[in-house]
Amino acid sequence: MTDEDDYDNFTSALKQSRFRRGEQTFEEALAVGDNVARNGPNVNTQTQEQTKQQDTVVLGSSARKRDLDTLHSAEEEEFLDHLLDQNQEQGTITPRLKKPRLGAMKRLNFMSQLSSGEPPLPDDDITPPSSPDDLPQSRHPGSSKVSKQDIADLSGMAPMEDVSFQTMTKRVLKRPPVLEDYIKVTSSDGTRVYMVLQDEDSSPGVEFDKLRWSGQRQLHLLGVPFYDLKEQVAEENRRLVLEESQRLSEMLNSQIDEEFGVVEKQEGEAADEIDDECEECSSSTLWVDRFTPRQYTQLLSDDYTNRCLLKWLKMWDTVVFGQEKPIKKSKQLVEKHSSFKQSQQLQQNKWKSKTQITEEILDAELDAHSRPKYKVALLSGPPGLGKTTLAHVIATHAGYNVVEMNASDDRSPEIFKTRIENATQMKSVLGANEKPNCLIIDEIDGAPSAAINTLMSIVNRKDVKEDETAAGGGKKRRKKDGGILQRPIICICNDQYVPSLRQLKQQAFTLIFPPTLPSRLVQRLHEFLHGRGKLNLSMRMIQTANVGLKDVNKSLFSIWQEIFQLPKIQRKRIGQGCSLPYELRSSDDQKALDGIMKTALNTAAHRFNHILHLSTSSGDHEKITQGLFDNFLLMKFKDPTFNGVCLALEWLEFTDILNKRMMSVQNFQLMRYLPFLPVTFHVLFAASSVPRISYPNSHYEAQTKIAHMHNLLTALVSEISPAIRSRITLQALVSEILCLLLDILSPKMRPVNTQLYSAREKQQLTDLIGTMLAYNLTYHQERTPDGQYVYLLDPNIEDVCRFPELPARRPMTYQAKQLIAREIELEKMRRVEALLNSRNMEKKEAVEVKNKTSESNTSSKACVKNHKQTLENVLKSVSVKEKVELDFFGRKMDKINIVTTSTVTGAAEPMKETAEKFIGKAVGNSDVWFRFNEGVSNAVRRNVYIKDLL
Amino acid sequence: MVQIVVHASPRLDGGGSAPEWLLLELQGEIESRNHSGLAGNLMGELHFSKEGVPILVVGHHILYGKVTRLERPFVVLVKQTGARAGAERPMETEVTEQEVSEGSILCNYLVTAIIKKKIIFKTRPKPIITNVPKKL
Repeated sequence: MTDEDDYDNFTSALKQSRFRRGEQTFEEALAVGDNVARNGPNVNTQTQEQTKQQDTVVLGSSARKRDLDTLHSAEEEEFLDHLLDQNQEQGTITPRLKKPRLGAMKRLNFMSQLSSGEPPLPDDDITPPSSPDDLPQSRHPGSSKVSKQDIADLSGMAPMEDVSFQTMTKRVLKRPPVLEDYIKVTSSDGTRVYMVLQDEDSSPGVEFDKLRWSGQRQLHLLGVPFYDLKEQVAEENRRLVLEESQRLSEMLNSQIDEEFGVVEKQEGEAADEIDDECEECSSSTLWVDRFTPRQYTQLLSDDYTNRCLLKWLKMWDTVVFGQEKPIKKSKQLVEKHSSFKQSQQLQQNKWKSKTQITEEILDAELDAHSRPKYKVALLSGPPGLGKTTLAHVIATHAGYNVVEMNASDDRSPEIFKTRIENATQMKSVLGANEKPNCLIIDEIDGAPSAAINTLMSIVNRKDVKEDETAAGGGKKRRKKDGGILQRPIICICNDQYVPSLRQLKQQAFTLIFPPTLPSRLVQRLHEFLHGRGKLNLSMRMIQTANVGLKDVNKSLFSIWQEIFQLPKIQRKRIGQGCSLPYELRSSDDQKALDGIMKTALNTAAHRFNHILHLSTSSGDHEKITQGLFDNFLLMKFKDPTFNGVCLALEWLEFTDILNKRMMSVQNFQLMRYLPFLPVTFHVLFAASSVPRISYPNSHYEAQTKIAHMHNLLTALVSEISPAIRSRITLQALVSEILCLLLDILSPKMRPVNTQLYSAREKQQLTDLIGTMLAYNLTYHQERTPDGQYVYLLDPNIEDVCRFPELPARRPMTYQAKQLIAREIELEKMRRVEALLNSRNMEKKEAVEVKNKTSESNTSSKACVKNHKQTLENVLKSVSVKEKVELDFFGRKMDKINIVTTSTVTGAAEPMKETAEKFIGKAVGNSDVWFRFNEGVSNAVRRNVYIKDLL
Repeated sequence: MVQIVVHASPRLDGGGSAPEWLLLELQGEIESRNHSGLAGNLMGELHFSKEGVPILVVGHHILYGKVTRLERPFVVLVKQTGARAGAERPMETEVTEQEVSEGSILCNYLVTAIIKKKIIFKTRPKPIITNVPKKL
């Protein structure tokens, strides 16, 4: 182990020696390799000029790594543990990336990731440059100089202190070097130092290898070191890319640059390059487009979220790219987690539980088709945080072709289904990029639930099918393979609690976006402005600016509050820049500066202008007016003569007139007068105390009430008898008739049985019922919430024409209402019956009328005739007629018989024949009938005495 | 010994046999309206179908029967006393030798008819429904 090989030989020698020893298990060997890796890169980075001498140092340190481990102080041990965790965390990814990559190179013709020029950094694609607060610097004041970008370097911090601190101090500069590339490093206490990168150029080739790839030294299990292969591929790829196309974006350039030496290019410069190139290609692009993040490292959103999503996307690799997922040692993982958490406990408390859950999800086994358990990822968070950007960047990063659907697309279930299936099952044949698709469904919370159900069925249906086909024959199998979901779907929503998403949420890998960290924002903005020569951007300005609010206006509440509140004293305002949201409404620097410089805001003119500006810019005049109307009487203002209130009401009326005019004549020029209402209110009612503002709902309530009343009235009118309907209008009905009708409908009634009513009272009752029927009113029993039953008018016109605050006049008793309701029902039935009768028996009525006339003539005859008449009627209605008189065999029976019998019976029992008997005779034609004795035959026997015979 | 004298019907003396009647056997009773008795009332109609099946219509009932030959024929005797006190009463009496052999001098019987066949209605009668009144 003391031989001084060059660095490339070092590993093989090390490996050989270890296996020769044979005392270690493979895992131990791996662990050793880890340690080597841990120590190696640090030394390498610290000692930028790598000589063989220093390699010896490396070898020495690795050889006595056990001693080192034991010799470390307790604190360092803990720190090492922590670092080990981080290392392992990356290590969990590293093997997964390595082996599959190799397979993919064979299969996919150098893989999209590589062809797109992505840096094959194992640490980079999961761990982007962490934000400054993520670094565990606070725990180690000693190691204040830490390379910010390279996390892999972190693992070398402990040795860095021990071994090579002094070498590093030579290169640390207090101010940025003028001509060279440099890395800037910021410690936790804010001191910034710069490290020159010039040495990289002087140590090409092998040196680069060491610098770049020593982090993976532990995995050299191939004949040729893997990084060599990779390097070749990258080299070749780069050449191809450079030769092939000039239209590759700056993303490629920067990443290739990264690959070739500039380990971490300063982000500001990257941004510069982007800007330059953008300006080159199109100077007319918006800033928004120009500064859109294009790489993973440029993402502003939360690191953890980014990483989780990427990890989830990587889980699809097995299906999509046919790569193997590495088998993890779960036991180790658990240990690591625990220690990791311990060390992180102080820093990120809030992450703990969430981390656990999501990591469990991400560590979960793949399903039968080696897809992740959650087929859909759901990103949720307020607008403007970069969810869509993240999804796009990550999908591109992971080697997918992004297919996006958003709110502007048609989302009917059929089209939705076709599009999803197109995206997940097809592949673009044309064009050079043969990347698999990744479907991004933006703003899914706006989609109809039917469409979401379709999505769910696409995700789930296959599972059912697969069960079926597992039992069934192979014929279905092809179909199943065509139908199975094999591409990742990322859904993005603003509000994850939308009801239609409820189902999706259960089966989706849900990620909630935290708000953007201001520090990262500052950093990013710095990158822009640094390149543009505008360095006058301060932290406070950014804090005060409304960042990340893509399309969210200032809330109405804040507007109302400002209208009703006098501005605070100046010094207070300076102290809490970001709590006063109104200063900077635009991201324009000049305006922002103006806003801050504005000092005399509390003077009247400024107040006037401020409120005017506020209301003009908010635009939602209607809501603002409603809020003012609802709240202005609750404010604390001094107005003993109510002049102000009257004025305010006049203003409101004026606004109403304006609104009406605008809406009816489309005269929108009048709109420019609307913003002055809030100004007036501010002048009249603003107070220094914090106003309590409630959301205006009186307008809404009034609207619903009007609609309700209107419905009631239309229901009433539609059923009103036509004679009345022809004479009333809705307006007249409400204002003139109904309130009086209520009085008419509640007469005094004695609380006794109707039988005991006098003739006048009975008449009164029938009149009442007639009236109520004419107006289609009735009493309807209802149950009040406290369990009592009351009778209410059915179209409850009391609601319409009676103020609820006023006492009801002379309510009728429950019994009276019940009686009336019953009588109304009866009367209705009677009327219906009368109607039916009149329709059915018009003839009969005619006869009866005749009859009545004759009846009036002779009373004695009348009864006989009447009797006959009814019989005839019965016969007619029964329609016995001739048919009955036909014989059973169809012959006509002689009518004489009938006549005789009928006369006979008529004589026998005069006037008492019922129709039934008549019919019986008519049928049987006789007075005799037969009675059947079942099973009895005693009719034959009879005793005969001989004496009777004699 | 009681002696019962049986005469042939005086009308038949001229020659030929007594008229032949048919016996109707019903399983059931014939009832009249108001229990006023059957006398003078039309009982019903007897028809024969083409196949010779007898059909009896009584009231609103129809009965299907069949014609059978009696094993022993019956004769219809009318009792005639010397005083002729008893009203003519048709009686169906089984003719037996013992009864016929001797009768009193005062009383003799006149043969009015011979019954060799009977029609038996032993099935349940079916009602005749012409028109069902829908509403009365």
